[in-house]
Amino acid sequence: MNEDNAATILTALQHADSNFPSGSFAFSQGLEGLASLTGKRPGTDEITNFVREQIVHRWASSDRVALAHAYRAGDDLDRVAEIDEELDLSTFCETLREGSRRNGQALLATHVRFGTPGAASYRQRIDRDTATGTLPVVHALLWRRLGLAEEACVAMSGYGLVSSSLTAAVRLNFVGALTAQSMMPPLLSLVATYAGEPVAEDAEICGFNPFGEIAAMNQAGLALRLFSN
Amino acid sequence: MDTIDNIPAAETGTKPLGAARVGIGGPVGSGKTALIEQLLVHLAKRSISTAVITNDLVTAEDAERLRKGGAIDPARVLAVEAGACPHTVIREDPTLNIIAADQLDRLYRDLELTIIESGGDNLASTFSLDLVDWWIFVIDVAGGDDIPRKRGPGVLQCDLLVVNKVDLAPHVGVDLGRMLEEARSVRDGRPVVATNCRSGENVAAVADAIAEAVLVAR
Repeated sequence: MNEDNAATILTALQHADSNFPSGSFAFSQGLEGLASLTGKRPGTDEITNFVREQIVHRWASSDRVALAHAYRAGDDLDRVAEIDEELDLSTFCETLREGSRRNGQALLATHVRFGTPGAASYRQRIDRDTATGTLPVVHALLWRRLGLAEEACVAMSGYGLVSSSLTAAVRLNFVGALTAQSMMPPLLSLVATYAGEPVAEDAEICGFNPFGEIAAMNQAGLALRLFSN
Repeated sequence: MDTIDNIPAAETGTKPLGAARVGIGGPVGSGKTALIEQLLVHLAKRSISTAVITNDLVTAEDAERLRKGGAIDPARVLAVEAGACPHTVIREDPTLNIIAADQLDRLYRDLELTIIESGGDNLASTFSLDLVDWWIFVIDVAGGDDIPRKRGPGVLQCDLLVVNKVDLAPHVGVDLGRMLEEARSVRDGRPVVATNCRSGENVAAVADAIAEAVLVAR
Protein backbone atom coordinates (compact mmCIF):
# COMPACT_ATOMS: atom_id res chain seq x y z
CA MET A 1 0.00 0.00 0.00
CA ASN A 2 1.37 3.39 -0.87
CA GLU A 3 1.23 6.34 1.48
CA ASP A 4 -1.65 8.08 -0.33
CA ASN A 5 -3.85 5.01 -0.14
CA ALA A 6 -3.03 4.56 3.52
CA ALA A 7 -3.84 8.20 4.19
CA THR A 8 -7.20 7.84 2.42
CA ILE A 9 -8.10 4.77 4.44
CA LEU A 10 -7.13 6.51 7.66
CA THR A 11 -9.25 9.54 6.75
CA ALA A 12 -12.20 7.26 6.10
CA LEU A 13 -11.65 5.47 9.40
CA GLN A 14 -11.56 8.75 11.30
CA HIS A 15 -14.76 10.07 9.81
CA ALA A 16 -16.72 6.80 9.93
CA ASP A 17 -15.65 6.15 13.52
CA SER A 18 -18.53 6.14 16.00
CA ASN A 19 -16.30 8.29 18.23
CA PHE A 20 -16.40 11.10 15.68
CA PRO A 21 -18.71 13.80 17.14
CA SER A 22 -21.74 13.64 14.86
CA GLY A 23 -24.70 13.19 17.19
CA SER A 24 -25.40 9.74 15.75
CA PHE A 25 -25.35 8.07 19.16
CA ALA A 26 -28.73 9.59 20.03
CA PHE A 27 -30.68 8.04 17.14
CA SER A 28 -32.01 4.47 17.09
CA GLN A 29 -33.81 4.76 13.71
CA GLY A 30 -36.94 3.29 15.28
CA LEU A 31 -35.22 0.39 17.02
CA GLU A 32 -36.31 1.67 20.42
CA GLY A 33 -39.93 1.37 19.30
CA LEU A 34 -39.53 -2.22 18.19
CA ALA A 35 -40.04 -3.84 21.59
CA SER A 36 -43.37 -2.19 22.25
CA LEU A 37 -44.45 -2.82 18.67
CA THR A 38 -43.84 -6.56 18.83
CA GLY A 39 -44.64 -6.95 22.52
CA LYS A 40 -41.30 -8.51 23.40
CA ARG A 41 -37.66 -7.60 23.72
CA PRO A 42 -36.10 -8.09 20.28
CA GLY A 43 -33.33 -10.63 19.95
CA THR A 44 -30.59 -11.04 17.39
CA ASP A 45 -32.88 -12.25 14.59
CA GLU A 46 -35.40 -9.45 15.03
CA ILE A 47 -32.68 -6.79 15.22
CA THR A 48 -30.82 -8.21 12.22
CA ASN A 49 -34.02 -8.25 10.19
CA PHE A 50 -34.86 -4.73 11.32
CA VAL A 51 -31.47 -3.35 10.28
CA ARG A 52 -31.52 -5.40 7.07
CA GLU A 53 -34.83 -3.80 6.10
CA GLN A 54 -33.39 -0.39 6.87
CA ILE A 55 -30.47 -1.13 4.57
CA VAL A 56 -32.48 -2.58 1.69
CA HIS A 57 -35.64 -0.50 1.74
CA ARG A 58 -34.41 2.84 3.04
CA TRP A 59 -30.67 3.30 2.89
CA ALA A 60 -29.91 1.62 -0.46
CA SER A 61 -32.79 3.13 -2.40
CA SER A 62 -32.98 6.48 -0.67
CA ASP A 63 -30.01 7.65 1.43
CA ARG A 64 -27.41 6.04 -0.83
CA VAL A 65 -29.00 7.54 -3.94
CA ALA A 66 -29.22 11.01 -2.40
CA LEU A 67 -25.62 10.78 -1.23
CA ALA A 68 -24.37 9.78 -4.68
CA HIS A 69 -26.30 12.55 -6.43
CA ALA A 70 -25.14 15.15 -3.89
CA TYR A 71 -21.57 13.95 -4.27
CA ARG A 72 -21.74 14.32 -8.04
CA ALA A 73 -23.27 17.79 -7.69
CA GLY A 74 -19.86 18.84 -6.39
CA ASP A 75 -19.55 22.55 -5.76
CA ASP A 76 -23.02 23.35 -7.10
CA LEU A 77 -24.65 23.97 -3.72
CA ASP A 78 -27.97 24.89 -5.32
CA ARG A 79 -28.17 21.38 -6.74
CA VAL A 80 -26.98 19.87 -3.45
CA ALA A 81 -29.77 21.73 -1.67
CA GLU A 82 -32.34 20.45 -4.18
CA ILE A 83 -31.30 16.86 -3.50
CA ASP A 84 -31.36 17.61 0.21
CA GLU A 85 -34.95 18.84 0.00
CA GLU A 86 -35.98 15.90 -2.16
CA LEU A 87 -34.65 13.41 0.37
CA ASP A 88 -36.33 15.27 3.20
CA LEU A 89 -39.69 15.39 1.43
CA SER A 90 -39.51 11.73 0.48
CA THR A 91 -39.12 10.61 4.10
CA PHE A 92 -42.64 9.96 5.29
CA CYS A 93 -42.05 9.38 9.00
CA GLU A 94 -41.61 12.66 10.87
CA THR A 95 -39.18 11.44 13.51
CA LEU A 96 -36.94 9.80 10.91
CA ARG A 97 -37.10 12.97 8.82
CA GLU A 98 -36.25 15.20 11.78
CA GLY A 99 -33.63 12.73 12.96
CA SER A 100 -31.82 12.88 9.64
CA ARG A 101 -31.88 16.69 9.72
CA ARG A 102 -30.66 16.95 13.31
CA ASN A 103 -27.96 14.34 12.76
CA GLY A 104 -26.82 16.09 9.60
CA GLN A 105 -26.73 19.46 11.29
CA ALA A 106 -24.85 18.06 14.30
CA LEU A 107 -22.18 16.65 11.98
CA LEU A 108 -22.09 19.95 10.14
CA ALA A 109 -21.55 21.81 13.45
CA THR A 110 -18.38 19.82 14.05
CA HIS A 111 -17.08 20.57 10.56
CA VAL A 112 -17.92 24.25 10.85
CA ARG A 113 -15.61 24.37 13.84
CA PHE A 114 -12.97 22.43 11.93
CA GLY A 115 -13.25 24.87 9.03
CA THR A 116 -13.98 22.11 6.50
CA PRO A 117 -14.62 23.85 3.15
CA GLY A 118 -18.31 24.17 2.41
CA ALA A 119 -19.49 23.52 5.96
CA ALA A 120 -20.06 27.13 7.03
CA SER A 121 -21.63 28.04 3.70
CA TYR A 122 -24.07 25.15 3.88
CA ARG A 123 -24.97 25.91 7.46
CA GLN A 124 -25.82 29.44 6.40
CA ARG A 125 -28.23 27.98 3.88
CA ILE A 126 -29.85 25.89 6.60
CA ASP A 127 -30.11 28.97 8.81
CA ARG A 128 -31.84 30.78 5.94
CA ASP A 129 -34.15 27.80 5.34
CA THR A 130 -32.78 27.27 1.86
CA ALA A 131 -31.38 23.82 2.73
CA THR A 132 -32.48 21.09 5.12
CA GLY A 133 -29.24 19.37 6.10
CA THR A 134 -30.21 15.70 5.87
CA LEU A 135 -27.45 13.36 7.00
CA PRO A 136 -26.63 11.62 3.68
CA VAL A 137 -26.39 14.92 1.82
CA VAL A 138 -24.19 16.43 4.53
CA HIS A 139 -22.04 13.29 4.33
CA ALA A 140 -21.60 13.80 0.59
CA LEU A 141 -20.90 17.50 0.96
CA LEU A 142 -18.23 17.10 3.64
CA TRP A 143 -16.60 13.79 2.81
CA ARG A 144 -16.11 14.75 -0.83
CA ARG A 145 -14.17 17.78 0.37
CA LEU A 146 -11.98 15.56 2.52
CA GLY A 147 -10.82 13.85 -0.67
CA LEU A 148 -12.81 10.66 -0.28
CA ALA A 149 -14.18 8.86 -3.35
CA GLU A 150 -17.93 8.46 -3.90
CA GLU A 151 -17.73 4.70 -3.34
CA ALA A 152 -15.97 5.22 -0.03
CA CYS A 153 -18.57 7.77 1.08
CA VAL A 154 -21.39 5.35 0.27
CA ALA A 155 -19.68 2.55 2.19
CA MET A 156 -19.05 4.86 5.17
CA SER A 157 -22.69 5.94 5.19
CA GLY A 158 -23.88 2.32 5.21
CA TYR A 159 -21.39 1.45 7.91
CA GLY A 160 -22.72 4.33 10.00
CA LEU A 161 -26.27 3.02 9.76
CA VAL A 162 -25.26 -0.49 10.83
CA SER A 163 -22.89 0.68 13.54
CA SER A 164 -25.27 3.21 15.12
CA SER A 165 -28.21 0.79 14.98
CA LEU A 166 -26.28 -1.94 16.75
CA THR A 167 -24.87 0.54 19.27
CA ALA A 168 -28.45 1.54 20.04
CA ALA A 169 -29.34 -2.14 20.45
CA VAL A 170 -26.55 -2.49 23.02
CA ARG A 171 -27.56 0.66 24.89
CA LEU A 172 -31.15 -0.53 24.97
CA ASN A 173 -29.77 -3.81 26.37
CA PHE A 174 -31.43 -5.81 23.62
CA VAL A 175 -28.11 -7.56 22.94
CA GLY A 176 -24.63 -7.55 24.45
CA ALA A 177 -21.70 -5.69 22.95
CA LEU A 178 -19.96 -8.86 21.77
CA THR A 179 -23.14 -10.22 20.24
CA ALA A 180 -23.67 -6.93 18.44
CA GLN A 181 -20.23 -7.18 16.86
CA SER A 182 -20.96 -10.74 15.77
CA MET A 183 -24.11 -9.47 14.04
CA MET A 184 -22.17 -6.94 11.98
CA PRO A 185 -20.45 -8.95 9.22
CA PRO A 186 -23.57 -10.10 7.33
CA LEU A 187 -25.07 -6.64 7.58
CA LEU A 188 -21.87 -5.01 6.35
CA SER A 189 -21.73 -7.57 3.58
CA LEU A 190 -25.15 -6.38 2.48
CA VAL A 191 -23.94 -2.77 2.59
CA ALA A 192 -20.94 -3.79 0.49
CA THR A 193 -23.21 -5.33 -2.12
CA TYR A 194 -25.07 -2.07 -2.58
CA ALA A 195 -21.92 0.03 -2.29
CA GLY A 196 -20.52 -1.96 -5.22
CA GLU A 197 -23.51 -1.06 -7.42
CA PRO A 198 -23.07 2.39 -8.98
CA VAL A 199 -26.06 4.68 -8.55
CA ALA A 200 -27.56 5.45 -11.97
CA GLU A 201 -27.62 9.09 -13.03
CA ASP A 202 -31.40 8.98 -13.30
CA ALA A 203 -31.98 6.99 -10.10
CA GLU A 204 -34.82 8.37 -8.01
CA ILE A 205 -34.90 8.66 -4.23
CA CYS A 206 -37.54 6.14 -3.24
CA GLY A 207 -37.26 4.67 0.26
CA PHE A 208 -40.16 2.58 1.53
CA ASN A 209 -39.80 0.72 4.82
CA PRO A 210 -43.22 0.69 6.47
CA PHE A 211 -42.31 -1.59 9.37
CA GLY A 212 -39.33 0.54 10.35
CA GLU A 213 -41.36 3.72 9.98
CA ILE A 214 -44.18 2.35 12.13
CA ALA A 215 -41.59 1.37 14.75
CA ALA A 216 -40.16 4.90 14.64
CA MET A 217 -43.63 6.44 14.96
CA ASN A 218 -44.35 4.07 17.82
CA GLN A 219 -41.12 5.17 19.53
CA ALA A 220 -42.18 8.80 19.27
CA GLY A 221 -45.26 8.00 21.35
CA LEU A 222 -43.46 6.17 24.15
CA ALA A 223 -43.75 7.79 27.58
CA LEU A 224 -40.17 6.85 28.37
CA ARG A 225 -37.65 7.31 25.61
CA LEU A 226 -33.88 7.14 25.58
CA PHE A 227 -33.31 8.00 21.93
CA SER A 228 -34.31 10.83 19.63
CA ASN A 229 -36.05 8.45 17.23
CA MET B 1 -24.87 30.24 -8.01
CA ASP B 2 -23.34 29.78 -4.57
CA THR B 3 -20.38 27.47 -4.95
CA ILE B 4 -17.56 26.31 -2.76
CA ASP B 5 -15.22 28.72 -4.54
CA ASN B 6 -17.04 31.86 -3.49
CA ILE B 7 -18.05 31.08 0.06
CA PRO B 8 -16.90 33.34 2.85
CA ALA B 9 -14.03 32.18 5.00
CA ALA B 10 -15.10 29.24 7.12
CA GLU B 11 -15.71 29.74 10.79
CA THR B 12 -13.00 28.10 12.78
CA GLY B 13 -11.97 27.86 16.40
CA THR B 14 -13.32 25.76 19.21
CA LYS B 15 -16.32 27.87 20.19
CA PRO B 16 -18.18 30.64 18.40
CA LEU B 17 -19.00 33.77 20.36
CA GLY B 18 -22.62 33.83 21.47
CA ALA B 19 -24.27 33.60 24.85
CA ALA B 20 -22.04 32.29 27.61
CA ARG B 21 -22.60 28.54 28.14
CA VAL B 22 -22.62 27.13 31.66
CA GLY B 23 -22.96 23.40 32.39
CA ILE B 24 -24.65 22.00 35.48
CA GLY B 25 -24.02 18.31 36.12
CA GLY B 26 -24.21 15.88 39.00
CA PRO B 27 -25.77 12.67 40.26
CA VAL B 28 -29.47 11.80 39.95
CA GLY B 29 -31.51 13.62 42.59
CA SER B 30 -28.75 15.96 43.74
CA GLY B 31 -30.87 19.01 42.92
CA LYS B 32 -29.67 20.22 39.53
CA THR B 33 -33.13 21.20 38.31
CA ALA B 34 -34.02 22.76 41.67
CA LEU B 35 -30.82 24.82 41.50
CA ILE B 36 -31.72 26.01 38.00
CA GLU B 37 -35.25 26.91 39.12
CA GLN B 38 -33.79 29.09 41.86
CA LEU B 39 -31.05 30.50 39.64
CA LEU B 40 -33.58 31.60 37.04
CA VAL B 41 -35.24 33.82 39.64
CA HIS B 42 -31.93 35.44 40.57
CA LEU B 43 -30.87 35.86 36.95
CA ALA B 44 -34.22 37.43 36.07
CA LYS B 45 -33.82 39.93 38.93
CA ARG B 46 -30.47 40.87 37.44
CA SER B 47 -32.05 41.20 33.96
CA ILE B 48 -29.75 38.55 32.51
CA SER B 49 -31.28 37.09 29.36
CA THR B 50 -31.17 33.33 29.92
CA ALA B 51 -32.10 30.06 28.19
CA VAL B 52 -31.87 26.45 29.36
CA ILE B 53 -31.11 23.15 27.64
CA THR B 54 -31.91 19.95 29.50
CA ASN B 55 -30.51 16.48 28.82
CA ASP B 56 -33.00 14.19 30.47
CA LEU B 57 -32.03 10.55 30.32
CA VAL B 58 -35.63 9.59 29.57
CA THR B 59 -38.55 11.82 28.61
CA ALA B 60 -38.40 15.61 28.92
CA GLU B 61 -39.46 15.82 32.55
CA ASP B 62 -36.84 18.35 33.66
CA ALA B 63 -37.57 20.58 30.68
CA GLU B 64 -41.31 20.46 31.38
CA ARG B 65 -40.72 21.26 35.05
CA LEU B 66 -38.74 24.37 34.13
CA ARG B 67 -41.27 25.42 31.49
CA LYS B 68 -44.11 25.15 33.98
CA GLY B 69 -42.17 26.84 36.77
CA GLY B 70 -42.92 30.32 35.50
CA ALA B 71 -39.40 31.65 35.97
CA ILE B 72 -38.55 31.55 32.25
CA ASP B 73 -40.31 31.84 28.91
CA PRO B 74 -41.14 28.18 28.11
CA ALA B 75 -39.87 28.67 24.55
CA ARG B 76 -36.42 29.33 26.00
CA VAL B 77 -36.19 25.78 27.37
CA LEU B 78 -35.03 23.06 24.96
CA ALA B 79 -34.76 19.34 25.69
CA VAL B 80 -31.99 17.33 24.03
CA GLU B 81 -32.14 13.55 24.19
CA ALA B 82 -29.15 11.87 25.80
CA GLY B 83 -29.25 8.68 23.69
CA ALA B 84 -29.13 6.49 26.79
CA CYS B 85 -25.85 8.02 27.89
CA PRO B 86 -25.67 11.30 29.82
CA HIS B 87 -21.85 11.26 29.61
CA THR B 88 -21.76 11.18 25.84
CA VAL B 89 -24.08 14.08 25.15
CA ILE B 90 -22.05 16.53 27.27
CA ARG B 91 -18.55 15.19 26.73
CA GLU B 92 -17.67 12.64 24.04
CA ASP B 93 -20.18 13.95 21.50
CA PRO B 94 -21.66 17.30 22.52
CA THR B 95 -22.79 18.20 18.98
CA LEU B 96 -26.54 17.93 19.66
CA ASN B 97 -26.17 20.32 22.59
CA ILE B 98 -24.00 22.61 20.47
CA ILE B 99 -26.63 22.90 17.73
CA ALA B 100 -29.34 23.47 20.36
CA ALA B 101 -27.29 26.26 21.95
CA ASP B 102 -26.52 27.71 18.50
CA GLN B 103 -30.24 27.63 17.77
CA LEU B 104 -30.97 29.59 20.94
CA ASP B 105 -28.30 32.15 19.98
CA ARG B 106 -30.01 32.64 16.63
CA LEU B 107 -33.52 32.81 18.07
CA TYR B 108 -32.75 35.24 20.90
CA ARG B 109 -30.34 37.94 19.84
CA ASP B 110 -30.24 39.35 23.38
CA LEU B 111 -29.28 36.02 24.92
CA GLU B 112 -26.47 36.33 27.47
CA LEU B 113 -26.45 32.98 29.22
CA THR B 114 -27.37 29.42 28.24
CA ILE B 115 -27.50 26.90 31.05
CA ILE B 116 -26.99 23.28 29.97
CA GLU B 117 -28.27 20.75 32.49
CA SER B 118 -26.83 17.26 32.31
CA GLY B 119 -28.94 14.19 32.85
CA GLY B 120 -28.43 12.57 36.23
CA ASP B 121 -25.10 10.84 36.20
CA ASN B 122 -22.31 9.65 38.46
CA LEU B 123 -19.18 11.17 39.94
CA ALA B 124 -17.17 10.58 36.75
CA SER B 125 -19.34 13.00 34.79
CA THR B 126 -17.57 16.02 33.29
CA PHE B 127 -18.46 18.64 30.67
CA SER B 128 -16.49 19.12 27.46
CA LEU B 129 -15.03 22.59 27.15
CA ASP B 130 -16.02 22.38 23.49
CA LEU B 131 -19.56 22.77 24.80
CA VAL B 132 -19.40 25.03 27.85
CA ASP B 133 -17.31 27.92 29.10
CA TRP B 134 -17.62 27.00 32.74
CA TRP B 135 -19.41 24.31 34.71
CA ILE B 136 -20.91 23.44 38.06
CA PHE B 137 -21.15 20.02 39.68
CA VAL B 138 -23.93 19.44 42.20
CA ILE B 139 -23.79 16.86 44.97
CA ASP B 140 -25.98 16.62 48.04
CA VAL B 141 -25.46 15.72 51.66
CA ALA B 142 -27.98 12.88 51.50
CA GLY B 143 -25.75 11.14 48.99
CA GLY B 144 -23.22 10.64 51.76
CA ASP B 145 -20.49 12.75 53.31
CA ASP B 146 -17.85 10.54 51.73
CA ILE B 147 -18.54 11.85 48.21
CA PRO B 148 -15.78 14.52 48.26
CA ARG B 149 -13.31 11.95 49.59
CA LYS B 150 -14.06 9.70 46.60
CA ARG B 151 -12.48 12.40 44.42
CA GLY B 152 -14.61 11.77 41.34
CA PRO B 153 -13.63 13.77 38.25
CA GLY B 154 -16.86 15.77 38.51
CA VAL B 155 -16.07 16.89 42.04
CA LEU B 156 -12.42 17.61 41.29
CA GLN B 157 -12.59 19.28 37.88
CA CYS B 158 -15.70 21.45 37.99
CA ASP B 159 -15.30 25.21 38.26
CA LEU B 160 -17.76 25.38 41.14
CA LEU B 161 -18.85 22.55 43.42
CA VAL B 162 -22.32 22.95 44.92
CA VAL B 163 -23.15 20.88 48.01
CA ASN B 164 -26.93 20.91 48.14
CA LYS B 165 -29.64 19.93 50.63
CA VAL B 166 -27.62 21.18 53.58
CA ASP B 167 -30.82 21.24 55.66
CA LEU B 168 -30.84 17.44 55.57
CA ALA B 169 -27.40 17.05 57.14
CA PRO B 170 -28.58 16.44 60.73
CA HIS B 171 -31.20 13.98 59.52
CA VAL B 172 -28.80 11.79 57.55
CA GLY B 173 -25.94 11.81 60.03
CA VAL B 174 -23.66 14.07 58.02
CA ASP B 175 -21.13 16.39 59.60
CA LEU B 176 -21.62 19.25 57.15
CA GLY B 177 -18.60 21.21 58.33
CA ARG B 178 -16.30 18.28 57.78
CA MET B 179 -17.87 17.46 54.38
CA LEU B 180 -17.31 21.01 53.16
CA GLU B 181 -13.79 21.07 54.54
CA GLU B 182 -12.94 17.84 52.72
CA ALA B 183 -14.54 19.16 49.53
CA ARG B 184 -12.35 22.28 49.64
CA SER B 185 -9.32 20.17 50.46
CA VAL B 186 -9.67 17.77 47.49
CA ARG B 187 -10.32 20.77 45.21
CA ASP B 188 -7.20 22.59 46.32
CA GLY B 189 -9.22 25.49 47.62
CA ARG B 190 -11.27 26.09 44.48
CA PRO B 191 -14.80 27.28 45.22
CA VAL B 192 -17.43 25.23 47.02
CA VAL B 193 -20.88 26.60 47.84
CA ALA B 194 -23.31 24.97 50.27
CA THR B 195 -26.95 25.42 49.28
CA ASN B 196 -30.50 24.51 50.11
CA CYS B 197 -32.23 24.85 46.78
CA ARG B 198 -35.67 24.26 48.28
CA SER B 199 -35.44 27.39 50.40
CA GLY B 200 -33.07 29.25 48.11
CA GLU B 201 -30.33 29.45 50.72
CA ASN B 202 -27.03 30.58 49.16
CA VAL B 203 -28.26 30.34 45.57
CA ALA B 204 -27.37 34.02 45.19
CA ALA B 205 -23.74 33.02 45.72
CA VAL B 206 -24.00 30.60 42.80
CA ALA B 207 -25.51 33.33 40.63
CA ASP B 208 -22.67 35.64 41.69
CA ALA B 209 -20.11 33.02 40.72
CA ILE B 210 -21.68 32.55 37.27
CA ALA B 211 -21.82 36.29 36.68
CA GLU B 212 -18.25 36.75 37.80
CA ALA B 213 -16.91 33.83 35.77
CA VAL B 214 -18.64 34.18 32.42
CA LEU B 215 -20.64 37.40 32.22
CA VAL B 216 -18.37 40.13 33.58
CA ALA B 217 -15.74 39.57 30.94
CA ARG B 218 -18.27 39.93 28.10
